[in-house]
Amino acid sequence: MAEQISQEQLRELQEKIKQMSPEELKEFQKKQCIFCQIVAGKIQAKKIYEDGNVAAILDINPANPGHILLLTKEHYSIMPQIPDDEIAHVFMVAKSLSNSMLKGIDAQGTNIIVANGVAAGQRAQHFMAHIIPRKENDGLRFELPQKTMEESEINAVGNRLAAALGGAAEEEKPAQRQEQKKEVAQAKKEPRQKKESDSNINLDDISRILGAK
Amino acid sequence: MTASRENCIVCQIVGNKIPSKKIYEDEFVMAVLDVNGSNPGHCFVMPKNHYPILEQVPDIEIGRLFQASNKISSAIFESLGVQGTNIFVANGIPAGQTVAHFTINVIPRKENDGINLQWQPRQLNEEEMSTVELKLKEQAKNIGHFEKEDKKPRVHAPKPAALSEEEEEYFERQMRRLP
Repeated sequence: MAEQISQEQLRELQEKIKQMSPEELKEFQKKQCIFCQIVAGKIQAKKIYEDGNVAAILDINPANPGHILLLTKEHYSIMPQIPDDEIAHVFMVAKSLSNSMLKGIDAQGTNIIVANGVAAGQRAQHFMAHIIPRKENDGLRFELPQKTMEESEINAVGNRLAAALGGAAEEEKPAQRQEQKKEVAQAKKEPRQKKESDSNINLDDISRILGAK
Repeated sequence: MTASRENCIVCQIVGNKIPSKKIYEDEFVMAVLDVNGSNPGHCFVMPKNHYPILEQVPDIEIGRLFQASNKISSAIFESLGVQGTNIFVANGIPAGQTVAHFTINVIPRKENDGINLQWQPRQLNEEEMSTVELKLKEQAKNIGHFEKEDKKPRVHAPKPAALSEEEEEYFERQMRRLP
């Protein structure tokens, strides 16, 4: 945020946000969101690709030259809020953009990174996938240290995750993409049914983002 | 390309020849716990078919893989009380890929957990930015014809779309970079 706000103002704001309905919250976020303005063309950016659902722009603070931010046109603050058919589309585009990097700018590899939540490195309130072109010895170092877990811990964590996913494996149905533009229009008219957990994640996340910095 | 490779460790996990802690499975996708994960709950999401790099995975399977990753990320939020999640893909050896079977990492995050997926931003001048913009835009012109979901449900895994000769050569070159 550009302006400094006092602790009291922050608390008021957080209180206000908590009382908003999901629709009001989304509107509020959109108005605040620089990436919504980029998508709408109100702020200039170097656009690499655009369709009815997504826009890909060059990151102005790139990890490497050609680093792309792939944005949904719809405002989602984190990935779990995005409907399945849009997820599929976003990453089909990501694959094509990665291919563009291998072919167009002599990248020897690519990284795709999504951060959900401040602890994961998320800095903006708008979902984005980073696509980063890589070359040997380019100085980038992502660190995923290995940790050893006890057998019992592995089982406990695995069982909790499998249980949380229990319904999903059974209900899995082919997601069908419709005409992109229709879909966006429809999505605006009838917001997707939200699970209770979605709004919890959302609120926590927003307050953390607002609280940060 | 065959559906699985005998000497591929991921194919052996998918084929249950190597034991794993499976947390999700569907027609195209299998997800297992990384037993030496960066955090408890770190998962590998993998296509059941053998594809070394992202560019070889058919669009339909890309869709399913990332939908599954998103479900797993939500499940991590719901059941492990974490503060965030990362979706991380290393595509190609210079990007840190260590196994020649496309894999998505879904990683639970907490503050100060020792994981680093950050970078030092580079400062490029206007000319450098414009050059890279033009080159990428030129390539991106071809984007937009995605393989849509089949009308009929698939019983067997699909064969990868036929590649043109030029693309075959190109992939072969890329493959040699892999372990």
